[in-house]
Amino acid sequence: MRISLNWLSEYVDVPSPEELAKRLTAVGLEVEAIERTGTGLDGVVAARIVASEKHPNAEKLSVSRVDAGRGEPLQIVCGAKNYQVGDVVPLATVGTVLPGGGKIEKAKLRGVESSGMLCSAKELGLAEEASGLLLLDRKIAPGTPVAKALALEDVLLDVNVTPNRPDALSHVGIAREVAAALGKKVRMPAPRLAEQGAPARDAVKVRIDAPDRCARYAARVVEGVKIGPSPLWLARRLESCGVRSISNVVDATNLVLLELGHPLHAFDLDKVAGREIVVRTARPGEKLTTLDGKERALSPEDLLIADRDRGSALAGVMGGGDSEISAGTTRVLLESAWFQPGGIRRTSRRHGLKTEASYRFERGADPGMVIPAVDRCAALIAELAGGTVRPGIVDCHPREVRAPEVRLRWTRPAKILGMDVAKDDARRILAGLGFEERAADAEGATFRVPSWRADVSIEEDLVEEVVRTKGYDAIPETLPHGASDTPAEPLEARAVARIRAALEGAGFAEAVNFSFVAERELEPFQRHVATGDGTGRALGIALKNPISAELSVMRTSLVPSLLKNVAHNLRQRIADVRLYELASVYYPNPDPKQRPSAEFVEVAGVILGRRSPASWATGADASDFFDAKAAVAGVLEALGVEVRWRPRGDGWLHPRTSASLLAGEDVVGDVGELHPRVAAAFELPRGVLAFRLSLDALLRAARLVPQHRAIPRLPAVLRDLAVVVDEAAPAAAVEGLVREEALVESVTLFDVYRGAPLPAGKKNLAFAIAYRAAERTLTDAEADAAHARIVKRLAEKLGAELRG
Amino acid sequence: MADLLGQLEALSKGARDAIARAADEKAIEELRVRFLGKKGELSAVLRGMGQLSAEERPRVGEVANRVKDEVEALLDGARRRLEAAKLEAELAGPPIDVTLPPRRLLPRGHRHPITRATEEIAGIFARLGYEVASGPEIELDWYNFEALNIPPDHPARDMQDTFYADESTLRHGVEPGTVLLRTHTSPVQIRAMKRIGEPPVRIICPGRVYRSDYDQTHSPMFHQVEGLCVDEGITFADLKGTLAAFARAYFGPGTKTRFRPSYFPFVEPGAEVDVSCSICGGSGRIPVRAQGQADEPAPERAGGSGGRELREGGASGPPSGQTKRCGTCKETGWLEVLGAGMVHPKVLENGGIDPKRYTGFAFGMGVERMAMLRYGIDDLRLYFENDLRFLQQF
Ligand SMILES: [Zn+2]
Repeated sequence: MRISLNWLSEYVDVPSPEELAKRLTAVGLEVEAIERTGTGLDGVVAARIVASEKHPNAEKLSVSRVDAGRGEPLQIVCGAKNYQVGDVVPLATVGTVLPGGGKIEKAKLRGVESSGMLCSAKELGLAEEASGLLLLDRKIAPGTPVAKALALEDVLLDVNVTPNRPDALSHVGIAREVAAALGKKVRMPAPRLAEQGAPARDAVKVRIDAPDRCARYAARVVEGVKIGPSPLWLARRLESCGVRSISNVVDATNLVLLELGHPLHAFDLDKVAGREIVVRTARPGEKLTTLDGKERALSPEDLLIADRDRGSALAGVMGGGDSEISAGTTRVLLESAWFQPGGIRRTSRRHGLKTEASYRFERGADPGMVIPAVDRCAALIAELAGGTVRPGIVDCHPREVRAPEVRLRWTRPAKILGMDVAKDDARRILAGLGFEERAADAEGATFRVPSWRADVSIEEDLVEEVVRTKGYDAIPETLPHGASDTPAEPLEARAVARIRAALEGAGFAEAVNFSFVAERELEPFQRHVATGDGTGRALGIALKNPISAELSVMRTSLVPSLLKNVAHNLRQRIADVRLYELASVYYPNPDPKQRPSAEFVEVAGVILGRRSPASWATGADASDFFDAKAAVAGVLEALGVEVRWRPRGDGWLHPRTSASLLAGEDVVGDVGELHPRVAAAFELPRGVLAFRLSLDALLRAARLVPQHRAIPRLPAVLRDLAVVVDEAAPAAAVEGLVREEALVESVTLFDVYRGAPLPAGKKNLAFAIAYRAAERTLTDAEADAAHARIVKRLAEKLGAELRG
Repeated sequence: MADLLGQLEALSKGARDAIARAADEKAIEELRVRFLGKKGELSAVLRGMGQLSAEERPRVGEVANRVKDEVEALLDGARRRLEAAKLEAELAGPPIDVTLPPRRLLPRGHRHPITRATEEIAGIFARLGYEVASGPEIELDWYNFEALNIPPDHPARDMQDTFYADESTLRHGVEPGTVLLRTHTSPVQIRAMKRIGEPPVRIICPGRVYRSDYDQTHSPMFHQVEGLCVDEGITFADLKGTLAAFARAYFGPGTKTRFRPSYFPFVEPGAEVDVSCSICGGSGRIPVRAQGQADEPAPERAGGSGGRELREGGASGPPSGQTKRCGTCKETGWLEVLGAGMVHPKVLENGGIDPKRYTGFAFGMGVERMAMLRYGIDDLRLYFENDLRFLQQF
């Protein structure tokens, strides 16, 4: 809400703009900006034209002599034609810099000297368009600065009015707050209304068919008006608050809106069929063309201001084109009403129409302002457009909107605030804000909430009124009493911390991506979600109103986002990428009543590029499956999770160079090289490695607290074992058979060899085995026997041959 | 006998001279072989002992043993001397190029600044006895709005442009238009109160939130941290004390807080909380450094709690005595960082808590902004681009 200080000071005495801004902010009406206007017009003064003749050398120019209040008249060359000798016009004197940036200098125009420039409203930045010089009131003394003559010098405050305070969406509303804060009085506008002629009720009838939606409808009739432009002061006043000047009658309604905060509507009475206003909901299929020229299909829930035949306005939102005030209007029907906020809001949203009127009605207009506003506006129209006001108000008032009475216990502020508030303090503050004390006893008092404060309904609201006026600075700072129980850090938090540490230790940078992605990006992951009754399928929970198709489906995998991150970094010529993200993926919850989604935390990572940072000291080998496996293994070890590695990971991975991790039957995750087709879809090169892990599955298998085992005191016997097996035999299977031997303590695979002299399809695996007995020193003979048993077992089960 | 003793004497002298002249390990070994080896000089002398009488033999043997010990000791000494000299020579040699980069087998990892800020915030509140709580990001209208005293036609809904879920991609059983992406972390308040049941409730809820607004200064997804404290006798003064303590812990010990009345439907009274600007220290002006680096945030020091003191130390160049406008606080000296208030009685009720017996406070803050202030980040979009040149700074 833009507040003009010139205007505001008509209703209340104001301190300096900075002080005012501070006080308003302190009571909860945050002033976001202070703007000074009319300051760019320093060198522009009023000048009377004392003589004017044609320019000797130019058809379209004239040479004027003007009195600018400096004794000697000045000679000015001018191109405009809309003035006469004796007119007072703005003169930009030499040295002035106009709002458009042009600097006025003494110059010769076609051989004639000119000491300044006569200005139009446009040149002064006062209007968008102008067809000639701005003609000022002839009574203005020459030499008067124009900014002063037109009251252009003003200070505008940009006040951020929170949605609970519709009462502050006007100059009088702000004046009330200023008066309460500074202990001053508000000077309410007092319209001088001269009623004349036959009563208004003879000219129009009003009927409310939807009293639940419209509690009151008051109409006045002004006749004999002449529609025309508004005087400059009025146009300026509206424009300074961001409202365009339209015509005197429309501007009058807008002025009252900005002054009193109550939205009004003016109809051309002669276009109201049957001279009858009906407030009703729309009929099925009914249409209305609003003032913005749009034909709107109405909902039976939309409230209409209709005449006998059809709708003429979307109540409280926007007027209709048919009944609009036009140049030929002579009889004005002025509407002042109170509409139920929720209905206005629904209509406004349904039609995507947000107006100054709907903005206030949906927040709650002041029911006490219906009559003062219509009186004020009628008087203003008569003054501006020269009409007469018919006696009386056609006031249809089916329902009283009563402000509640709220009780304040004197002890309550201390309980909420932690600060005592004296009874008299509370009384004084509430009275200053318009709260009327209805009854009091030793424990408290009951206050009638003023009609404009629809936001106040409970005791806590009264406490807020008191404390915001006193200022929050008065409240002391304490800490809540008593320590609460200290619960153990939740398992999940501990696991997450370890996962992060493991991955960051393995060189991963953490990424944070939007939770929504493009649907096509989820396609390769094929993690369909069950929708509807469970038989339907979708790629993920979709948004009804996404920012764009690129950000429209809640992801079921973190991997696509990370793949896009890899592509981004490659475009930035960053070739070595290790990124991880830890976030939720989203599925529909089978029982959505309390929780529509099932959200699971996953951790995913991507690797592309060199295994080690480019360096003199390390090789330049590209990362492969086993680097990704190392990263995953680091996470598993950090959590004490043991898994089986099953070849062929999820479908988005390369079938030959990927794996799934299983803990029991639980799939903990997948890791491997990205499927070449997926890589292509994300415009990535081959060789991207990726993994995803389910936090839930990790937690189920986690052993976060290590258990101590005694360090062996007796010596181990070490033996190496080199066996040739089929290429298809997994190393883990060989190792598993080795471990079946009870005396084996540890097995380390230290070499894998393929090639000559081995035949094709064979590989040699070399293990270092430690044999140890728990209770005695193992003899070489015992170890040799165990070793021989292993060799035999490998030969039997895998056809393994000992390599010499 | 005298002959043998004379030979031994000569051997001993010869060994002393030769060993003293030995220049390397090889020479020492050769001398050992020459004097003490099986075919060495000492053996040669001892072979002559067969001609001696039984009385003479022990005497000569004794001398021979002494000579042998002496020669061995001389050889050991020579070896040690040589080793010492070699070590001295090695130690005196030229140093390696210690300026060569370290041998890193893996790059350094990085934690996203949003996570870092979240962890710090949650850590401060953990020390104040707050437990981390979480809730779903895809929420029901009731939890996100209605339970928080924002009924369907409430204009406060305009404050938050909401993403709604397409019901056809959910399971049956939800009312149309009631499933949304949470617009704030506040619904966790309700879920946590319902879960915990009886106060005391002291929780902190960090998480992702969503609003359908996307431009230079708005991201459709961002992060908040919500806090809730409910118990008997909790007051606004406790709220002030708690947030003042938090601000000092996060922004530095000298940080001041300012509470202004404001409106959030789920609290009453409500407040916006400003902290004194951590960039200019609340003066609204920042010194102009000679090298013009005053604008650049200093890197965070290990273990430090950030804030002004550290930043000042990090700026280089001598102060020129001139100051310029602080862009971070727009010269006001204050930064708006938190929304807060006393929990509205209706919200307590919706959380299953008796508002006649209990009071509470709640607060919320935007993590992106907190991280911006801490790390000097000036563009919201950097957070979600995941450019390694950005991430590697943390
Ligand atoms: Zn500052």
